[in-house]
Amino acid sequence: MLSFIVADSLFGPFFRKYFYYYDSYPVVIQIAVFLTAVAISATIIAYLSIIFRRGKGYLTDVRTRKINTFIDNLITDNIIFNEEILAGVPPQDVKLDLEPFQKQVFSQGWVKQALVDRLIYFANSFSGDRNLLFKRLFVELELEKLSFNKLKSFNNSTKILGLVELTSMSVAVADVLILPLTNSRNRKLRSEARIAYIKLSKNDPFKFFDDATEPLLLWDQLELFKIITTTEGLTIPNFARWITYSTNKSIVSFCLKLVVHYNQHAAIPSIVKLLDNKDHYLRVEAIKCLGKLKADDIEEKLIAIYNNQPLNCQIEILKAIGRFSTGKQIQFLRGEFIRTSDFDIKKNAARSLINHGRAAKDIVQNLIDTATADGAIILKHCMNPLIKY
Amino acid sequence: MKYGVYIELFGEFYEGTVFIYGTTLLLIYAFLAIMSLVAVRKFKVLDSRVDYTLLLNSIHTPGISVIAPAYNETITILENVHSLLNLNYPKYEVIIVNDGSTDDSLEKMIAEFDLIEVDFAYNERLKTKPVKRIFRSTNLAYSKLVVVDKINGKSKADASNAGINVSSFDYFLCTDVDSILDRDAIMKLIKPIMEETDKRLIAIGATLRMANSCVVDQGFMQKVVMPKQLLPRFQEIEYIRSFVMGKMGWSTINSVPNVSGGLGLFDREIVINSGGYDPNSFGEDMELVIRMMVYCVNYNIDYSIRYIPLTLCWTEGPSTLRVYGRQRSRWARGLAQLMYAHRKVIFNPRYGKLGLIVMPYNFVFELLAPIVEALGIIYYIIIIILDAVNWPYAILLLVFVYSYAIMISTLSILWDQLTYHTYKTWREILLLCFTAMFEMIIYHPLIVFFSLKGYFNFLANRKHSWGNMQRQGFGQAAQTRAITASN
Repeated sequence: MLSFIVADSLFGPFFRKYFYYYDSYPVVIQIAVFLTAVAISATIIAYLSIIFRRGKGYLTDVRTRKINTFIDNLITDNIIFNEEILAGVPPQDVKLDLEPFQKQVFSQGWVKQALVDRLIYFANSFSGDRNLLFKRLFVELELEKLSFNKLKSFNNSTKILGLVELTSMSVAVADVLILPLTNSRNRKLRSEARIAYIKLSKNDPFKFFDDATEPLLLWDQLELFKIITTTEGLTIPNFARWITYSTNKSIVSFCLKLVVHYNQHAAIPSIVKLLDNKDHYLRVEAIKCLGKLKADDIEEKLIAIYNNQPLNCQIEILKAIGRFSTGKQIQFLRGEFIRTSDFDIKKNAARSLINHGRAAKDIVQNLIDTATADGAIILKHCMNPLIKY
Repeated sequence: MKYGVYIELFGEFYEGTVFIYGTTLLLIYAFLAIMSLVAVRKFKVLDSRVDYTLLLNSIHTPGISVIAPAYNETITILENVHSLLNLNYPKYEVIIVNDGSTDDSLEKMIAEFDLIEVDFAYNERLKTKPVKRIFRSTNLAYSKLVVVDKINGKSKADASNAGINVSSFDYFLCTDVDSILDRDAIMKLIKPIMEETDKRLIAIGATLRMANSCVVDQGFMQKVVMPKQLLPRFQEIEYIRSFVMGKMGWSTINSVPNVSGGLGLFDREIVINSGGYDPNSFGEDMELVIRMMVYCVNYNIDYSIRYIPLTLCWTEGPSTLRVYGRQRSRWARGLAQLMYAHRKVIFNPRYGKLGLIVMPYNFVFELLAPIVEALGIIYYIIIIILDAVNWPYAILLLVFVYSYAIMISTLSILWDQLTYHTYKTWREILLLCFTAMFEMIIYHPLIVFFSLKGYFNFLANRKHSWGNMQRQGFGQAAQTRAITASN
């Protein structure tokens, strides 16, 4: 109601002036006239916005291109072709000439930001001595203060930007500053904070695994996996710690992937305990992990639980037996192939049998000869090297 | 005398109802405009710093099956399959379903891709016309390719279902073999699935645009050009409005009614459990999505369906009135069929947003809109004949509707400009805005007419002819190829 009164007080005089009979119109027509005025105004604003945005975009492009060329030239002269580096001086002993980067032009905020962006770009493009020089320049020009200021912002996007900058330039950040952000409600901020924590924390880079209450999404896992497996000098812990104690299922699932990557056989007892977990998706992950670790000691246990498992777990057990290829469960696989009417079980039993190679060769041939037409095609499908899945 | 009073009362009632109907629709558009703006801006901010190459180098990247049905595509089949085989994604398979083509497209593929028939374990989880043969390539370079040769099922749905039966991965991307996909389409579509927190993302789509007049080389988009012909250009505006504003707006409240058949990534398990595409439906893409939602509600699956405001697919829109009319009549018939088939869901609170938002909106403002408009025109004619028109008011109302329609189209163009500058030149933008001014006068009546024709065909249960659709080709020497009028 209030909005109508406000609208009338704002637009009423306009309509009374330009539409002489406005007050005598029926309500329906009054609303129509009012909305027409809104529509025409919005259309004009939209046209102007298109013009303004395209014009602004064009000018920004020109301006950025110009300043980037200027910055790139400075960087090329002072860092890439730095005479001391070329002469073999260690990067920590090189005396950086800061003066060109402290010119008047760099006092403007957007130019300073452009310098940060270019330094990050070059730091990501170069490794070794020059990479260290870019990072030194970033710190000596006190550009990290800009990034730390961004961390204090109320705007999450700005915080993310600050984190990305500090992570890219490997600037040490106190745990107390990042750790709270690793459980932020904002997904992107949480993700960037976790990456930053692993890269920058000097004490215990995996500490946030202990306190993570928010889920570690598949995309985040992809990013973290890359960071963990490519960051130099990172001390890799035994992930069994979180597999056993974490209540966050996504953390457990991620740790299983890391266990496989680092081939941590010491974690197998913890993974076996997961076979009793109520969540069948987690059990699937655990069985997959055991299969990939070739933990054939638990083959008997997998067979023992097989009949009590849902379809997805049964399929994963069949795959694991194929990966172990101990030869002890060939009859089990054959039995499953013959017994089941489920296509996926039959296919995975067949594939695991074939994975046994020579040990199961006669049985496979016998099955081809005696199976139904559909069964034989499944076996031939799995034997065909042209068919991967 | 009494008779005249009744007519007058009916007139007042009708005018009032239509006004409320129209105003509600315009308010919904305003709501969608605001919501889509929020979504588009948020997406742009988040997407600007995403490193999609993570997917290229990870062993944990999910596998995707790309399914493309083909019927008599001999002229462009090789080029298009090559382009599908060269998408930027590390773990995917391309399933081409040759739906009983009567031309030499299968022979061409066999020769080009070194295909041989294999003993393939075909699991017919979705019922289709019989699959005759399945081919794999002996050439390692084409190891991703699977070609399914089946008996013609007289619908894209039947061919897509055969492709789903053959697919190996948990998600499949459905497209048309003659659509042009962005090289990064799979990466862009899988990311939201990997970022979903507490819901199961069962389908995701992206913006489709008109490929008419664009320059295409080896099946990839080289230069986006505004359609030169008027009819495709009107469709371009319609697509921008529908995808960038409509579907993005609905996406924010998890009420997307449809993921286009031209490009959509689907959860395979949910699709199979829902029964797959319906070969008897005239709007099989929307029908599938509604059925998937019904399935999720029935089985207490907390689902979501999303759209992203990126143009990842270009398709050639009809450029002749005859072909356009056939397409739109088919779509309208599909909508009527769908509403009838799922009538129990409409206004049913048990189905949550599906029952109270998605279906009612599509019933009241999509299905009924052409009927309301047609009745409005008839009513106008009658009162003109009876000389009962209040011309100043009538003109004011017409100006209102016309200005509002232009506003919505212009805002859609602006939102599109906010994400990515699809069109680079000022001339193209101006032309787009200029065309929007005539959309209501020239293009909209066509939609109304062909929709009514589609409804009539539905009510009369007339047979649909799977006629040929003349395609022009993309930014190259005009060529004509015949394909089923499936889009």
